[in-house]
Amino acid sequence: MDIIKVDSIAKAFGKNLAVNNVSFTVQKGRIFGLLGPNGAGKTTTIRMINNILAPDTGSITINGIEASPQTQKMIGYMPEERGLYKKMKVGEQLLYLTQLKGMDTKSAHKAIDFWLDRFDASDWKKKEVGELSKGMSQKIQFIATIAHDPDIYIFDEPFSGLDPINSETLKEVIIDLKSQGKTILFSTHRMEQVEQMCDDICLFNKGKSVLQGDLRQVKSSFGKNTINLEFEGDGSFLDKLEDVRINNRSTNFAEIRVLNGQNMQDILKLAIEHAEIHKFERVQPSLNEIFISTVGEDNLKNQEA
Amino acid sequence: MDFGKIFLVLKREYLTRVRTKAFILSTLLTPLALVALMAVVIIVSTSGSDSVKTVGIIDETGVLYPRLEEINAERYEDVSMQPLDSVKAHVLSEQLDGYIVLGDSFIDSGDSPTLVYGGSGGLSFIGSVQDELRDAVRDERISRSNVSDEIREIFEARPRIESVKLTEQGEEEDHAIFGAALGFILGVLIFIGLFGYGAVLMRSVIEEKTNRIVEVIASSVKPIELMLGKLMGICVLAITQFAVWIVSYIGLSIAAAPIAVMIFGEKIDDLNSTATGAASSQGFDPAVLEQFQVDPMIFVYFILFFFLGFMIYSAIFAAIGAAVDSEQDTQQFMIPVMIPIFMGYMLNMKIIEDPDSSFAVFASLFPLTSPINMISRIAATEVPFWEILLSIVLMIGTFAGIMWLAAKIYRVGILMYGKKPSYKELAKWIRQS
Repeated sequence: MDIIKVDSIAKAFGKNLAVNNVSFTVQKGRIFGLLGPNGAGKTTTIRMINNILAPDTGSITINGIEASPQTQKMIGYMPEERGLYKKMKVGEQLLYLTQLKGMDTKSAHKAIDFWLDRFDASDWKKKEVGELSKGMSQKIQFIATIAHDPDIYIFDEPFSGLDPINSETLKEVIIDLKSQGKTILFSTHRMEQVEQMCDDICLFNKGKSVLQGDLRQVKSSFGKNTINLEFEGDGSFLDKLEDVRINNRSTNFAEIRVLNGQNMQDILKLAIEHAEIHKFERVQPSLNEIFISTVGEDNLKNQEA
Repeated sequence: MDFGKIFLVLKREYLTRVRTKAFILSTLLTPLALVALMAVVIIVSTSGSDSVKTVGIIDETGVLYPRLEEINAERYEDVSMQPLDSVKAHVLSEQLDGYIVLGDSFIDSGDSPTLVYGGSGGLSFIGSVQDELRDAVRDERISRSNVSDEIREIFEARPRIESVKLTEQGEEEDHAIFGAALGFILGVLIFIGLFGYGAVLMRSVIEEKTNRIVEVIASSVKPIELMLGKLMGICVLAITQFAVWIVSYIGLSIAAAPIAVMIFGEKIDDLNSTATGAASSQGFDPAVLEQFQVDPMIFVYFILFFFLGFMIYSAIFAAIGAAVDSEQDTQQFMIPVMIPIFMGYMLNMKIIEDPDSSFAVFASLFPLTSPINMISRIAATEVPFWEILLSIVLMIGTFAGIMWLAAKIYRVGILMYGKKPSYKELAKWIRQS
């Protein structure tokens, strides 16, 4: 079931076309990743889904309803730039934000107490947000996003600025939400998190969607055209390789993407001549490689056009 | 428009501010200052002239001193028997404030006597000595020149102006000066309220931007709802403060005269029973305080005009707050707000001087100055009802227009960070949305 349906939307700010004819759908109960370099139009798209901005053309429907104040209640949104009222008490603040999402006072109190308890934050209820540490206020921010129990969660760059522990907690909560049948959409440029969590992806570049679909299918469509090479010795032979792109290179490891259908055996031969090979593996390209190559090709195409 | 959400925003805006120390203190301290002011009025009116100065009279005529003594016994002392040197010594040692030598020539030819004084004289001191001496000399000359009683009466009559205002209900005692002063003060209060609370609103908008909470709010509430909620929240806050002031003012103005009688009772009785002639006018008259009681309708207008003025100006303040990232950046946009608001403030004095001039009528109808100037006129004069109505209609229309533009700037501005926009860019925002 299409829970979020984005249909050929476009949004311009003055002469700058921030989002250009983008379409995608998010299925219920799945985690959808919005990827792309900075300025690709992810945040603008997310704001349009949240009905903060209106698209110039095209349409967005949530659960079949046109984006509107009514659909805003179905979504819990955590923007990239997070913030709370510093001079307001945690409890009052959560109550206010939850009520704004349309929850009645009684259920709001109950939900807030539940989540504060779950995050071991019940003691902070009477504290002003300004007194809390950064990690603590991030938890409060998160509670503010989810307390009204929406079906859809949208996080814009949720992992940016989180320490590893909070980052792990957030990951767990997201996976937990998914297991409850909730739908999650988040944007990021941290590829390893996408690989670990996302079911579907949409890759943005310069306002356009350049690649989208089920993450496994996207990866397998690139074929096993990548070599993971572990070696010992002089790695300078890697520089002699032609028609390859090398990622993740270190003193004894390289991820080699083979271009133009070149024979991998030739690369292996060259490697054996120069270094001691510990591992030579044919794999699907990493998402990082897909990201870089797709965006790179797209930029090249734009330059030619 | 979701009024439930507007109310939630309003409630938060109001409750977080009404509980602050600054608000509570300024709300409660102002009535205390008012009490102090009234006490000063009472004290000044009971004590009459501040210090009693003594003037020694060396009376060579033998008739002028008794007349001076009759006019103001406290001030004049007969030192005719003492030698001039010792009188001078008294003045230098400040036992006397000054002395006058009165010879026959002053009665005969009308020469000017000389007041010799030490220390500080003070204009009112010299002036009153001059008046009293003139009266004494004149009376003496009249009595000597054997004129008819009729002429004597003419000279003794001291015409004063009693001001009485003609209204439809008939003649009423008029407190024109008090009305003008009240009008001025109410105008200034609205000026301060518009400016002060407009700035509070502006800071509140900037705070939400710099806190970055505004995007979270925008995912629940339409920008226009947020803006209206904030506007109304601050407006109710200001009205709360004014209401406390008005209620304490009305209470004080009713209670002041009886309390004054209680505290100063004996003194008032003393003054009223013993003082005669000129002295009694210096005594305390509780009626001085009764004129502080004013028609409560004026406060209804006060709140109404503040409300309308606040809606107009705060819409602009909110738009400015949304357009910038920090308070320092607001300056270039403040000019268009400052000009009309300060104009209203500065015109206020002129309007009090002549509240019925066509200039005053214009200023009180022009929607950007009318919140300040109309209330001054209402307090100072009889404003035709149609003028009040017209000014209200004009303000509502202006609010609608300004709100329409301000809401567009607000909507774009709250999500815009970075370089502060130019006027050209603001125009672009308005066209864009």
